[in-house]
Amino acid sequence: MLATITSATLLGVSGRVVRVEVHVSTGLPGFSIVGLPDASCRESRDRVRAALLTCNLRWPNKRVTVNLAPGGFRKGGSGLDLAIAMGLLVADEQVPLEVVHDIAFIGEMGLDGSIRPVPGILPMVDALDVATVVVPTASAIEAQLVERHQVRVADNITSLLATLIGDEPWPPLPAPEDLPPWPDPPDLADVRGQPTARYALEVAAAGGHHLLMSGPPGSGKTMLAQRIAGLLPELGHDAAMETTRVHSAAGVSLPPGGLVRRAPFRAPHHGASAVAIVGGGGSLVRPGEISVATNGVLFLDEMAEFRADVLDSLRQPLEEGVVRVARAASRVTFPARFLLVAAMNPCPCGDGGSPGGCRCSDRAMDRYARRLSGPLLDRFDLRVPVMRPDEGDVVGGSPGESTAVVAARVLAARTRACQRGVHANGELRGAALDEWAPLTPGSADRLKELLRQGRLSARGLQRIRRVALTIADLAGHDGPVAIDHVETALQLRCDPVSVTQRWAGRS
Amino acid sequence: MPPEAWVTALVSLEGMGPARLRALGASFGEPRSSWEQVVGGKVHRHPDMAAVMGQRPDRVAALWAADAALIDPAMFWQRHVDAGVGVVVHGGPAYPDLLAADPEPPVILFQLGDPDVVVGPRVAIVGTRDCTRYGHELAFELAGDLSAAGVSIVSGLALGIDSAAHAGAVEVDGAPPIAVVGSGLDVIYPRRNGPLWREVARRGVIWSEYPLGSAAAGWHFPARNRLIAALSDVVVVVESHATGGALLTVDEALQRDRTVMAVPGPVRSAASAGTNQLLADGPATTVARDASDVLAALGMAPGSRRRAAERRARPLPGDQSVLDAMGWQPVTTDHLLLRTGLTFPDLAGALNRLEGDGWVAQRGGWFERRAKPGA
Repeated sequence: MLATITSATLLGVSGRVVRVEVHVSTGLPGFSIVGLPDASCRESRDRVRAALLTCNLRWPNKRVTVNLAPGGFRKGGSGLDLAIAMGLLVADEQVPLEVVHDIAFIGEMGLDGSIRPVPGILPMVDALDVATVVVPTASAIEAQLVERHQVRVADNITSLLATLIGDEPWPPLPAPEDLPPWPDPPDLADVRGQPTARYALEVAAAGGHHLLMSGPPGSGKTMLAQRIAGLLPELGHDAAMETTRVHSAAGVSLPPGGLVRRAPFRAPHHGASAVAIVGGGGSLVRPGEISVATNGVLFLDEMAEFRADVLDSLRQPLEEGVVRVARAASRVTFPARFLLVAAMNPCPCGDGGSPGGCRCSDRAMDRYARRLSGPLLDRFDLRVPVMRPDEGDVVGGSPGESTAVVAARVLAARTRACQRGVHANGELRGAALDEWAPLTPGSADRLKELLRQGRLSARGLQRIRRVALTIADLAGHDGPVAIDHVETALQLRCDPVSVTQRWAGRS
Repeated sequence: MPPEAWVTALVSLEGMGPARLRALGASFGEPRSSWEQVVGGKVHRHPDMAAVMGQRPDRVAALWAADAALIDPAMFWQRHVDAGVGVVVHGGPAYPDLLAADPEPPVILFQLGDPDVVVGPRVAIVGTRDCTRYGHELAFELAGDLSAAGVSIVSGLALGIDSAAHAGAVEVDGAPPIAVVGSGLDVIYPRRNGPLWREVARRGVIWSEYPLGSAAAGWHFPARNRLIAALSDVVVVVESHATGGALLTVDEALQRDRTVMAVPGPVRSAASAGTNQLLADGPATTVARDASDVLAALGMAPGSRRRAAERRARPLPGDQSVLDAMGWQPVTTDHLLLRTGLTFPDLAGALNRLEGDGWVAQRGGWFERRAKPGA
């Protein structure tokens, strides 16, 4: 007999509907799965068989063929287990066909018959066109975010069958309140001293300007960077859904309410491969760290230690806000609109921050400076040195402003940016910049002077204007961008110490 | 071909230092016959040669022979002639007298510029590559004042103090500068020093022990330092870290009974740790505060002090308080924000104005106060 069950698999960050067709007939006993299953999908057979036998259900001693339709694309993951099991039970006439009508099943099976969560529930459920969706209990909150289906949960196949063919009611859906809340992100008040870096963080958060911090080891670059996510405003519904889809697909654990409301903060280790950062990997393309960080912060600690090709692969996503990953079998577009925050030592010995402190040879400095390509460095609107704070500030110094105080100013500045039709000033381009950030004659003269001296490029000019606008927004300033804002922007854009900073002849 | 051509070919071999060159000359006589012996690969059979060829003389000889097989001495010589590089060998007529009497004279010297312009007293100004603004200003100023007083400045054309000294020397139209470099004369290292390098060659002379095309190897620099010491009447260290290469120049200078002077620096500054130590260690080193101290050491009358009139615009009162808060040590915006209590935008405005008017200089986020405009 033939049974067809609806389920879904994941491709990139979107779900695809899969019809699991199970055919049970007389013939040489056997079990085969067709329709381009990958290895984890093919292993379903063993999991499902053990689960059914453990739960005292019959394993048909017949010829069983499972087809995953449509057969044209590769299916991966273990999320089809439950659908295969249900299809088998229906085709073997242990479960009547009517009870699975208009129901989709997603979940991985344990050998004891339990139903386990899989990554990507949100996009998979979103792709489904049925009335009811059965998901593992742990995924219920995530599945409900789609708000189009009747979400049902099941812990194991025995209780699922008791509900479907017996008289048991559906188990209650777990409530978000039952889950322990996530801890608050670290507070900016913990940072002592560092007024420059604190201000740079505020400007970066308010304007979505990429930030590069350079400073000696132990100066608190990482500590500062971890606090920027808390300064970003809560995500709006669309942005939250976008980020949640990526997190779901990437298997990142979701917050208690299901929806990622807080801007994500991702800090991949510098050993990361290009695939881990931008996404990819075989026929089942996975989102990389830049997509997981979408609408949030991507923090590259020790940026100069990342492989050069990995860093350069960030350039296109930084420009476009999406990353297109193409493989022979699939082509996927991931969202990748993130705030890039990077930290690095000023030189290999790490002490090059202060004049006369560095012990590196010119050659070592040259090599170090070459690790960052000019085009990538150019994308950082804010480049600030971070110094080791004075002893007095670390021990007993008064705490600085808290995250809540700074976040309020950031939100106010972002609200102004929204009136200009963008999320943040960092997205203003060309004509929009001219319209929203006119310059006073004084600031225009100052910038012209810098252009004439060759200390600023045309692209650098655009960036300075964007940052200056954010600074004006933070100060609650209306009207054209004044010279003080421009000068502050210039001050926040000082190149990291490198060999170019050593004097050759006249300075 | 002149004998210089054969020495030029010999010195281009890997691992051919002055001691081995001298031993070759002593063992085989004419440079041409030395070259032929090297090509033959049997130089280590000569007992005098084997003594200077390390643990495995046969291996060194084989390497030299392999190297030499790839070199056409005539073409290599023509390259030097075409580039206008002067070549002098020890014992030759054009060899500088200054070096002929040295305990470790170079066997061969390559030169750009005119060595005969160097007639007056010579002072070496050396120091760290990673100098502070304080060291940079002092080296620049000292070199300018000495050069104007008729003293040739000797240095190594490295980054930092070396460059500052030569830049100061060519700034005034004074005595011809002298440079000794650790690479071939066509290998400008560091590259950014190209303009200064050419300017020194135009006004004075650049010497190198290495033929065209030689990269700047690490072991060239101590050898270069000995020549700087040998060429100078006085060696002035402007800024040096506790274990800086400039201190090697000092050792070489002391071995040659040259006067060593050091510019004192802030005791907290790592860049002045070496110079302060020199001064603390004792009588061999005297204090160089300005050009008159150095001129006195040379037995010359202190020249009239050049004091440039203050041309900078007076800072605004608010900016003056920022300037006062800076002191004379390098500071960051963090220090200034905490000391002045200003907001970042206000401080940024003040610093930009002060930098524009030449009161402060910025490098990698550190601000240093400038004593005078110019350097």
